[in-house]
Order: sequence, then structure tokens, then C-alpha cells
Amino acid sequence: MRRYPTLLLSVLFWPILLPASAVLMGRAYSGSNDPQALQAFAERAGTSEVTGFVFVGYAMYMWLSAMLWGPGSALRTEQVRGSLEAVFLTPTSRLVPLFAPPVAALPAMILDFAVIFPAMWLLFGVVLPFDALLRAFVVAAIGIPALYAIGALFASLVLRYGEIGPVVHLTRGIFVLACGITFPLTMLPAWAQLGAALLPPTYTVADTRTVLLRGEGLGAVAGDLIFVVALTVIIAMLASVVFRWLDRSARRTGMLGRY
Amino acid sequence: MDEVRAAIAIMKKDLKTFFRYRIAVVSQIFVPLYQGVIPGLLFGASFAVGGRVIGLEATVGTENLAGFIFMGGVMSGLIATGFWGMAMGLRNEMDAGTLEPSWLTPTRHETLLIGRALSGVVWQVLGQIALFAIGITFFGLRFRTEIIYALPAVLVAVVAMVGVAFLLAAGVLLIREASFFIDTTNFLFSIASGTAFPVTILPAVFLPVAFLLPTTYAVDLLRVSAIGQRPLFDPVLEWAALLGTTALAMFVGRWAFARAVRVIRVRGTLGQY
Repeated sequence: MRRYPTLLLSVLFWPILLPASAVLMGRAYSGSNDPQALQAFAERAGTSEVTGFVFVGYAMYMWLSAMLWGPGSALRTEQVRGSLEAVFLTPTSRLVPLFAPPVAALPAMILDFAVIFPAMWLLFGVVLPFDALLRAFVVAAIGIPALYAIGALFASLVLRYGEIGPVVHLTRGIFVLACGITFPLTMLPAWAQLGAALLPPTYTVADTRTVLLRGEGLGAVAGDLIFVVALTVIIAMLASVVFRWLDRSARRTGMLGRY
Repeated sequence: MDEVRAAIAIMKKDLKTFFRYRIAVVSQIFVPLYQGVIPGLLFGASFAVGGRVIGLEATVGTENLAGFIFMGGVMSGLIATGFWGMAMGLRNEMDAGTLEPSWLTPTRHETLLIGRALSGVVWQVLGQIALFAIGITFFGLRFRTEIIYALPAVLVAVVAMVGVAFLLAAGVLLIREASFFIDTTNFLFSIASGTAFPVTILPAVFLPVAFLLPTTYAVDLLRVSAIGQRPLFDPVLEWAALLGTTALAMFVGRWAFARAVRVIRVRGTLGQY
């Protein structure tokens, strides 16, 4: 990021402009905060704070994007540059290139957090209590390894399919639709809500909203957080197994150097 | 006549390349659906009272949420074609190393962009037909037959976007690494045109910018005809503003493009990227 300053600009631009435009959409749809429309939204979303709801959702959107396009595509970048085989020839465990790149995405994810909430205050005058922000930080810290694991699972697919750009697009779209990121989860049909219950970001985004916008303590979301940790372990193990399996297959078929 | 033939040849070449990547073709239809249409519809419907989007009705004079979103999508797609297809297309030629050979042909440089505009329009028409079919079948999209009266406004907007694309192409030629520039300006241009929400919701400081964009009037005229939205101004005034801003965009765009071409020839930076 230090070498490509426009990347830093994008970290500042998108976390502000994307949710801000969604908040303005909300104003259009609610008739500039018509009480009846806001009441209807509150019944579905659990909060009448549309701005906070949208900004928290877009924080998750930015994290998912960073994770899927960054670490999730890191092996692909190595493959295109022709350096993947060289990396795999080093004595380092194969799992290192799978699980290490997400570390590079962490500063950007923390920066998103640092940009989004001040923007919410400066642009829309929504000030969140400091203790609620701390609780939200804990929820996010528990949720981020799950994104990490999802990114690793995607990274392993590179060894089999090479170009994963369209898959990343599709997956991000599914997460955006299924996890209640840009609209209340209750708007989805029952079968889709059932599917959403198996995705860690659903809990992270809902719990962040709970502690930030409804003022609940961590105890109220403890069950969800434990479930997220369990899902994270399962997905990370799945990523390791899939990666090892695809690695063996790639060595047999010579897929490592092909793209 | 030679220039027309060259533009058509560029259009055919672009379409041929585009349709070779079938996954990309499919994603061009589905990405707007799951990134814009479906979240927009569900977010809008979450404000509904007794099945009616009374908030939208208060804001724009119609509760036709699907129509509002899909008509915005028409203009949003057109804007994206201008930004990514036409202007950023030059950058792609730079990357592929084919910009200099294209520049050395006897074809006018403007024709290179106009050919891309033609392929973009053809794809837009096909893509929007597919999106409308999906919208009517699955998302309750309904619009009035008067939509046909708005077609001239959309055609004028295409001309306006060619002018805007000239201006952007000038920027792409000069700054070379233009992905962030195109991405952000595309988003801001689209938002300021009122594709996602009416421009009256924008903070007052941005309104003058919105009223300088031809697409603001085009999308408003389209929604007025298609879904009976309350117009921003008298439609006759909107037509005059659309034509005036289109002429301005074309004049400024062509001037900037000619200047940029001269600068890169003097500096010898056409091959640098």
C-alpha cells in the first residue's frame, strides 16, 4: 500500500461513500424519515437507526471484499506472476502461503473500522457510545478469523480452477444477499434465512448492530460468538483439507504453472 | 464514410471479443442484479407499510419501487459503459500494447472511442432487455407504455456519455494508471445523476454538480414517462437542459481529448503505462 498510494485513497473513499449513498437511498425510500416508514423498518431490522444499520453492514461488506479480493486471490496473483512454483519449492509449510496473506489485509480492515465510524458522526451526526464501540470491536475481532478462514478456503480453489475472479464476485454477492448486510435479514424468504444461519458474517454483522445500536452487552450475543468461533474452526479445517487435496491434484496434473 | 466503416469494424471486434468470454457475459447481467437490484428492492421494501412503499411515494410521487430501481439501472449501465467501456478501453489497449498501432492507422483518434461507444450501446440494449425480462418475471417490474416517449432522452444521453467519455479518455491518456480514477468517478457520476435516489436527497452543496450532468435529466425524463414519477422541473425545461448539457459535454470532451492527444505526442508517453 505504501508503494501504491491510490490503494490508500480507496481505503478512505469507499468506506465513506458506499454507506453514505445507501443512507441517502434509505432517506428516499423512507420519505425523508417518515415516522410510519421508520417504524416499519425498525420492526424488521430491530433498530430505527437506519444510518448505523447501513454503516455497520457496509463495514462487513468492505471486510468481505478485502478478504476475498486480497488473501483469497493472493495465490492467484503469485500464479499469474509465475512465482507460485518458486514459493512452493521453499522448505516452508504449504499452509503458510495459504494462511499468511490475510495478515496483510488486517491493517486495511482496521482502517475501515477507523474510517467508517468517524464518517458516520461527521456526515450524519450519529455518535455512538465509546463502550458500545469497544464491545463492537470485540465482536469484530472474534468475527474476523472467520473471514480469514473463508478467504483461505477460496485461496485453495486457485490450485484447481486458476481464475477465480467470477467466483469471488459471485460469493461476495451471495454473502451480501444472505447475511443481512445491506437490508434486514427478515426480508429474505425462510429458506434463505436458514442458509444465512450457517454463514459466520450473518452473526458478526447482526451482533455488531446489537451491541452498537441497541446498547446490549456482550452477554446478549455470547451464544452467537461461540457459534462463530466453532464455524471458524470448521471452515479453517475444511480449507486445510481442501488445500492439501487440491495441492496433490495440482502436482499430479501440473496445474500449478498453468493459468 | 471511411470513419463510419472503421467505427463499425471496431464495434464488431469489441463485441466478438466480449462474447468469447461467456462467464463474463453472464456476470454482466447477474452482477447488477445481486449487487444493485435485489439489495435495493429488499432495502426499499423494508420501509413498506402494509405492502406500500409510502416513503418513496412521498419522495418521488410513485410507490413503484421496482420501476424506480430498474430505470435507474438503465442510466447507471449507460454511465458505466462510458466510463469503463469507452474511456478505460484505451487503458486496456495500452496494457495489451495495441494502442500505438491503432494510433498509427489513418483512422481519426475519435473514431476509436466512437466504435467502442457503438459496441457499448449494442451490449447495453441486449443486457437491459435481459434485465427487464428478469425484472418482469421475478421482481414485479411494471412500467407504463409511455416509456417509449423517453427513448429519445436515452439516445441523447448516449451522445452525452460519448462526450463525457472523451473527457475521461483524456484523463486516462495523461495519468495512465486510471483504475481508481475511473472507478470513483463512475460511482460519483452515477450517484450525482440520481440513478440510486433522486438528486433532491443529495446535500445542497452537490446539487449544482447534479444539475450540470445530462444524465440527471435523462434518468428523470425516463422515470417520469415509465413510472409516472414527479419530475424535477417542467419536462420542457428538462429537455432543454438535457440538450444544453449534452452539447457542453461533447464540446468540452472533444477539446480535452484533442489537447491530451497533443500532449502525449509531444511527451512521447503514448507507449508508457
